[in-house]
Amino acid sequence: MTHRYIKLGLTAAVLVLAFAGLLWSTLQDGTEYFKHVDEVMVNPQAWEGKPLQLHGYVIPGSILKRQDTLEYKFKVQNNPIRDVNQGHVVEVSYTGIVPDTFKGEAEVVLRGKLTTNGFHTDPGGVTAKCPSKYEAQARASAPGT
Amino acid sequence: MASLGTFLLLAAFVTCSYSAVISVAGARRRSRRLIESGIGAFYLICAIMTAATAVLINAFLTGDFSIKYVAHNSDSVQPLFYKLTSYWGGLDGSIMFWVFLLSIFGSLAVYVNRERHRELIPYVVATISVVNMFFLFLMVIHKNPFTTYLTQVPADGEGLNPLLQNAYMAIHPPSLYTGFVGMTIPFAFGIAALITGHLDDSWLRAVRRWTMFSWLFLSFGLILGMIWAYEELGWGGYWAWDPVENAALLPWFTATAFLHSVMVQERRSMLRVWNVTLVIVTYFLTIFGTFMTRSGVVQSVHAFGDDPILARLFIGFMVIILTFSFGLVIWRLPLLKARNELDSWLSREAAFLVNNWVMLFAALFVLFGTMFPTLSEAVTGTRLTVAGAFFNKWMTPVGLVLLMLTGVGPLLAWRRSSFDKIAPQFLWPGLSGLVALAIAALYFKIPVWPSGLCFGLCGFVAGTIVQEFWKGAAIRSRNSGTDLLTALVGLVGKNKRRYGGYIVHVGITLICFGFAGNARKLDEQVLLKPGQETKIGKYTIKSNGVKVADDGQKQMTTAYLTVFVDGKEIDGLYPAKWAYRRHEQEPTTEVAIRRTPVEDLYAVLGGFDLADQSVTLQLVVNPLVNWVWFGFGIMALGTGIALLPERSFAFALAKMPAEAAATTVALLCVLLLSGTSLSAQSNMGGDMNTRTSFYARTPFEKEMQHEIVCTCGACGHQTIAECRKDPCATSHEMRGQLAAMIDSGVHDKDQIIQAFIAKYGTEEMLGAPVDRGFSRLAWLLPYLVGATSAVAIGFAAVKWSRKPDEAAVTAPAAIDSALEERIDDELRDLD
Repeated sequence: MTHRYIKLGLTAAVLVLAFAGLLWSTLQDGTEYFKHVDEVMVNPQAWEGKPLQLHGYVIPGSILKRQDTLEYKFKVQNNPIRDVNQGHVVEVSYTGIVPDTFKGEAEVVLRGKLTTNGFHTDPGGVTAKCPSKYEAQARASAPGT
Repeated sequence: MASLGTFLLLAAFVTCSYSAVISVAGARRRSRRLIESGIGAFYLICAIMTAATAVLINAFLTGDFSIKYVAHNSDSVQPLFYKLTSYWGGLDGSIMFWVFLLSIFGSLAVYVNRERHRELIPYVVATISVVNMFFLFLMVIHKNPFTTYLTQVPADGEGLNPLLQNAYMAIHPPSLYTGFVGMTIPFAFGIAALITGHLDDSWLRAVRRWTMFSWLFLSFGLILGMIWAYEELGWGGYWAWDPVENAALLPWFTATAFLHSVMVQERRSMLRVWNVTLVIVTYFLTIFGTFMTRSGVVQSVHAFGDDPILARLFIGFMVIILTFSFGLVIWRLPLLKARNELDSWLSREAAFLVNNWVMLFAALFVLFGTMFPTLSEAVTGTRLTVAGAFFNKWMTPVGLVLLMLTGVGPLLAWRRSSFDKIAPQFLWPGLSGLVALAIAALYFKIPVWPSGLCFGLCGFVAGTIVQEFWKGAAIRSRNSGTDLLTALVGLVGKNKRRYGGYIVHVGITLICFGFAGNARKLDEQVLLKPGQETKIGKYTIKSNGVKVADDGQKQMTTAYLTVFVDGKEIDGLYPAKWAYRRHEQEPTTEVAIRRTPVEDLYAVLGGFDLADQSVTLQLVVNPLVNWVWFGFGIMALGTGIALLPERSFAFALAKMPAEAAATTVALLCVLLLSGTSLSAQSNMGGDMNTRTSFYARTPFEKEMQHEIVCTCGACGHQTIAECRKDPCATSHEMRGQLAAMIDSGVHDKDQIIQAFIAKYGTEEMLGAPVDRGFSRLAWLLPYLVGATSAVAIGFAAVKWSRKPDEAAVTAPAAIDSALEERIDDELRDLD
């Protein structure tokens, strides 16, 4: 009887370990850090090469598109454009189609990697939030806040 | 009208509490009359909710913009169709729609089962009533769809979100809702069975059909969501592991598991605890999914809002569901003991068991992945997100294992099989699987992992099902002396559940077949000038420039593309961008799709330059995608057969499948061919927000803007964040003042509030009562009332249901003493 429990326990342990290992290894390359521009640019070296989702706001007038290609260069700052203090700024490069909502002032999340010469966005890695339409609903303040 | 609506909601709440209490009391006192009264009240809820629905729809139709919900989700020029669908276009209305559906389903389920499952019904009524009470409470206290503007009524509404203005809006949300709400019925029966201790298989028989029905609509809702994403949103694909999609997928997994394991309980009286657990978990996941997408716990492209109060109420409700349900399960564990044990791992019940584990694992895994960003932020402080690739890596093997079990299960016998016996069974299916794998790998050069294997398994499952039909029909034809086709129809009619189930498996196999096509997906982004060409797959695409047209309602920019195969022109594609009046900043994407059974050629207009007529295109070749939609049609047909009543006439049955098949195929063709014509939307949405100034720049400023109310007197006490409808000088000034204070370094909430109170002399401009002292009562009151009534109802239920004997003993005594006194008096008078 005890033999049986030992066997069962061992099998379960092996299975759980294998599962955890598999989960860990896939999580390693399946995850991306969600970061704001400021958090990354305080110490850019630390973040170089890591998969990032970078949150920021497009600086109006900074969007450049090379003639007859889909290559874009633009600048993204940490704080909303209306803010007095703009926070850190990062230069971004991207090749591909941009969403309709992508324009100056837009709040964007960029998927890609940081390099020494700016942020390289993955193909299809630009997500832009429409500034007016999806503003969070009015939240009544809750007790205790 | 609005006050009538609110009154109806309150009346429904009161009726729900009555029906819950009186049913429990009736069941405990074994009083037929009380139970009947509870059922009557239960039907009444349905009537009240229908009336409330009529009031809301009437408000939409007549354009009663004094009701906030109507003003936010519709406008006067919106077509009739979208005025109707606006009912569930926003959160408040969708909660009401939930209660409306639940009251209908509940009444139906109770009406059908009231004689057959007499002992369960009172508790079913009570459970559903309590669930309804929660949602009604939510509405009355926090999300009332009948809330009105107090003073100034806007002249026109804001219009339904343009993305929601298409035909799918009419069917996708109601279908998902039907699936979600329908899962409450099995849950209610499960709870009733646990409370009464009638834990034999009879409650399962009552809910099997409901689960199947809800499951069908849940599947339909999921598929419609996929089609919507594919055709309307221009993703290029149909599934992105978005939290909102995942929320609907979670209960689908557990419901599917339940539909399988319920057979094990019926046949072998095993897995009783497991089945009850699955029903509870499925119901819990429908609530959890709603919570996840509505409360802002997870971030998503289409999460519907950020609402901490709603989140708290939902968390409370979920905690109650879990503790109460699993408390009952633990209490009833002795009654839930299995009568049999698993004889062999080589048996059908073992296959079902493995299927269940895999399904549950899939649900837990998707839950984990969806909540991972929230979890990682809570644990480590850093928000880590998981991409679709992570889900795909894990769910692909899970899907393949499930597909394999679909083929293996039917080949195994109940109780135990032996290798000698099943070897010949596996011969033909195994062969057909190998052939499919070989064709995929060698001829089409598809990599074996994972798509090739998926094709192979599709072949294997198809082989199994064909063999099952063939064997059954052959035996029946031999026994009855009819031809094979008649025998086949008779076979399906005789065992509707079994063979309906196999047809569902055919559908699943086709869907997997469609998924496997992703291996050959091509996706390119190009910029083309007029006359330039590009190649994708076997297609050559040439741009002929862009044209702009205007139909008065919208400006349509269309790219003209010609498609060539081997130098021969075969088709034209016209992807477009439509910019609606008043929505110029948010053009909609009109996808152009060229459909064939083999592959879709899919074109999205990403951008254009009118000066040099160049277009930016996203071109996608999606192989086999139409098989996913077609597979669902087959699945629906199979579910329909399995849902047929047990005692249908053989005659009717003989005609049924052919016609049903024809109808389904016809419907599907319409669906498939509809393409872009379905998306011809008439958007009338208006963006009224002439938002003026001083947008919140920081979360703190935003919070403060939502705390302080505009004192202009015309907006009905909107917060200064909201009062932007018309250029309102007062709110503008107040926002400016707030911004100035924040800029000058004041970051203390109380200080700002004090400054405003000092300036305006009253507390009038506080959006919410100050949370201290007496004002705190205003916060606590609704919750206190809610809690007190809950306690009171519980108390009343217990008290009223006490055995009548005590009352019987005391009451006659009282009457006697009164009588005696009177007799004494009269006797005295006589004297």
